[in-house]
Amino acid sequence: MKKMRQQMKNWMTKQMQLPADVMMDLPRITMIGQLHIYIENHRGVLQFSNQELRLLLKQGQLLIKGDNFVIKTILPEELLLEGRIDQVLYLDERRT
Amino acid sequence: MNNNWTNHINGYVRVRIDGDYPERFLNRCLEEDISIWQIKRAGDRRIVCYMDVEDAKRIRPLLRITGCKVTFLQRTGFPFLFRRMINRSGFIAGLAAFLTLMFVLSNMVWNVEIKGASPQVEHELRQVVTNMGIKRGAFHFTLPSVERIQRDVTEMVQGATWVGVRQKGTTFEFEVVEQQLPEEAERHSPRHLVATKKAIIHKIFVEHGQAEVKPNDFVRKGDRLVSGYIGKKDAEDEEKELVPAQAVVLGEIWYKSEASVPLETLFTTVTGEKKSKHFLSVYGFDIPIWGFGKVTFDTFQETDHERPFHLFRWSLPFTYKRSDFFETSQYERSYTKNEAIRAARERARIDLKKHIPSDAEIIGEKVLHEDVENGKVNLRIHYQVIEDITSEQPIIQGD
Repeated sequence: MKKMRQQMKNWMTKQMQLPADVMMDLPRITMIGQLHIYIENHRGVLQFSNQELRLLLKQGQLLIKGDNFVIKTILPEELLLEGRIDQVLYLDERRT
Repeated sequence: MNNNWTNHINGYVRVRIDGDYPERFLNRCLEEDISIWQIKRAGDRRIVCYMDVEDAKRIRPLLRITGCKVTFLQRTGFPFLFRRMINRSGFIAGLAAFLTLMFVLSNMVWNVEIKGASPQVEHELRQVVTNMGIKRGAFHFTLPSVERIQRDVTEMVQGATWVGVRQKGTTFEFEVVEQQLPEEAERHSPRHLVATKKAIIHKIFVEHGQAEVKPNDFVRKGDRLVSGYIGKKDAEDEEKELVPAQAVVLGEIWYKSEASVPLETLFTTVTGEKKSKHFLSVYGFDIPIWGFGKVTFDTFQETDHERPFHLFRWSLPFTYKRSDFFETSQYERSYTKNEAIRAARERARIDLKKHIPSDAEIIGEKVLHEDVENGKVNLRIHYQVIEDITSEQPIIQGD
């Protein structure tokens, strides 16, 4: 049933050209070079250190690797990270 | 963004959080809508961040849940600055002393400037002004108002026709206009002299021009007295020479005036007893500061003086106010009929003198009618006055 709904949403987004982040609660990630990364629609911080930031998403996790990390702003659904960003990884461990 | 200047108003703190898993604390903060920023990992079990003072009070339960410990590292913003300021009593005392001193000094006279006066007039003016209390170090609110100073000074300084007084902050400026006698006689254009009033010519003395009237002639207003054309009597006007006529023509003029004097009059006079009250008024509300108690006089007059306080160029909302109560007493004057007539004649004469030129002479005075009515004596008096009746009439030559 849940899968059906997900597929339905996916199909609607494609057909009606709606923004995917709004329809499907996906994260919207804006990066400015290696300096800033701005993430919307996260679900909390799992791990934070100077070299790593692991965020919980609606589906799966987001892992950001780099150096000299500072969280400039953190709001319930938004986060601005500053530092040297090397990698952005999706850890897709689908919980069904 | 969070780290802008508005945070300084409420104040914010730098916080060190120690715990096994400080990320849990961050997530709790997000849930509780506690804003934190500039989060840095400072060690294995430690993060450092900033938060608002108001929020810092709410984190205790979150710390307990997440098993973290908090340490405040640095306090920034206005409330902390203010508290530190209060603790340094010397600083506050200095600030207060400065403001008080500034206030006191800006209400003082610092300079008396005199412009446009010759040395002796300036010296005289300086003495008069010093006697009135306007000197360096005097307080503005002890001095009379500028209009009053101007009136008094103009009266008291002999050599000056007019003294303008201006208060420019802490400086009093006196601008003096000295009496000056006209140096040269004006040049006249050709003219006739005509009568200003209906009169009988009493005396005529011509310097320039041709007299057209004789003593004991009767003239009406506008009649020509002295002509500006001189030459042979039978010649035409065009052939005669033109001069500015100048002459003294005294005419006898009749005036009638009426005067009435009541037989009984009630007077109010000031006895000289006085009581003063001092107030500090703030937005029109008077706070007594000196001179308490009721005014014990039966009858009195009240006068108020108000002087505003100044700080630099601005007036402060409070003013110094002084109310003076002068005791008054009443007395009744009663005249007999003869006394009243004499008083009425005197008054009528004084009245008349105000209306005629100062060099005029009263040669006769006759009471035409007198009666007593409603407790008043009414007089009609006839005066014969000798005065100069000339007025100039320029001769405008045709083109």
